[in-house]
Amino acid sequence: MLDALLLFAVLALTSLAAGFMGSLTGLGGATFLVPIYVLFLGIPIQYAAGASLISTIATSSGAGSAYVRDRVTNVRIGMSLEIATTSGSIVGSLTAAWVYAHNLQHAIYIVFAVVLLGSIYTQITRSKYELPKPMPPDRWTKWLQLHGRYYDPALGREVDYHGVRWWLGELIMFAAGVISGLLGIGSGALKVLGMDWAMNLPMKVSTTTSNFMIGVTAATGSSIYWFFGYIQPFFAAATAIGVLAGSFVGSKVLLRLRNVTIRYIFMAILAILGVQMLLRGLGLYP
Amino acid sequence: MDLEDVIGYTLRIGVIISVALIAAGVVLLVVRPPAPHMLQQLSNPRSLINTSLVSPAQVLSGSAGLNGMDVILLGLIVLIATPVLRVAIGIVQFARERNYIYVIITSIVLFNLFFAIFIIPILLK
Repeated sequence: MLDALLLFAVLALTSLAAGFMGSLTGLGGATFLVPIYVLFLGIPIQYAAGASLISTIATSSGAGSAYVRDRVTNVRIGMSLEIATTSGSIVGSLTAAWVYAHNLQHAIYIVFAVVLLGSIYTQITRSKYELPKPMPPDRWTKWLQLHGRYYDPALGREVDYHGVRWWLGELIMFAAGVISGLLGIGSGALKVLGMDWAMNLPMKVSTTTSNFMIGVTAATGSSIYWFFGYIQPFFAAATAIGVLAGSFVGSKVLLRLRNVTIRYIFMAILAILGVQMLLRGLGLYP
Repeated sequence: MDLEDVIGYTLRIGVIISVALIAAGVVLLVVRPPAPHMLQQLSNPRSLINTSLVSPAQVLSGSAGLNGMDVILLGLIVLIATPVLRVAIGIVQFARERNYIYVIITSIVLFNLFFAIFIIPILLK
């Protein structure tokens, strides 16, 4: 019994740290969690992915209840893109099931490594500007009402914005959904890319809207994971509680923390995890 | 109270209920294990106990009998159901605004969720 409680504590504390880092980087806890579970705790990747995917729903709903109150989340933009992320998640989860059934886990490790190393790039190039350069509205803007306004306390005024190139955002969101289902992560980085870069939305809107979308995407993938048995109740319980607590602490610290060094530490962690996942995928890691 | 607030509360209450159930389930599992060696089996990294073995109906009856593992699983079901409920409320919200294009869009999202939850298990059985 003691072994079981110790394992529970280790998983919960690891998840707490992952949730904390995930919240500060905006990548979500699962990005850190899956490789740590697989590489250091010897948990099969199916169970690691299942527990992580479940935990992203908890963080999305937890943070979402605060964001909704602040009225920054754009529900229309989020919902219109959810068509793509939920479809992508179905494709991704079924692909994961096929991969596991054929013992091709190595492919998952390699894809995960690419996502981890790619996330470093998005961390470096993270937009320095609060608001994007305005682009003229296109036909999608009008047809899907991709506009909104929010109060920005940093700028001290109301900001009006609109989204463009919805089709491009939709394509990137489909990819984000596939990655989410395949790897058991929220893939918030790709979602933000789709809204920041493709649709030219302000960062605050894309971050909060992405958080809203992650819960719906992960709920889609989780139910398919449930059916295939990738959710181990004991691991998922420790992970959900740990990640939720970690991201809660992270969100409180985030408001005060404006430290650059800590970002470099996180990038180094991403690099180490990425390289190790790559080595594991290539069969070069014990 | 407008619908945005309803959504905010739905998310918060959903998370609170699910975390409470998960925590209670873990305590029950330790205090009164449903079967001998259950904890050992559950804490083995290559454990064979997972969700492919339990149906939602079993989860409900097991939870009523205070089976720790089923209470944890019930918490996970509540967690998955929260965003689904949130999308369903979204349909009501857009219908009230008479924003029909978004009623359709949100219905497609809800359909995708139902497809993953109910239809895929039937198709693959």
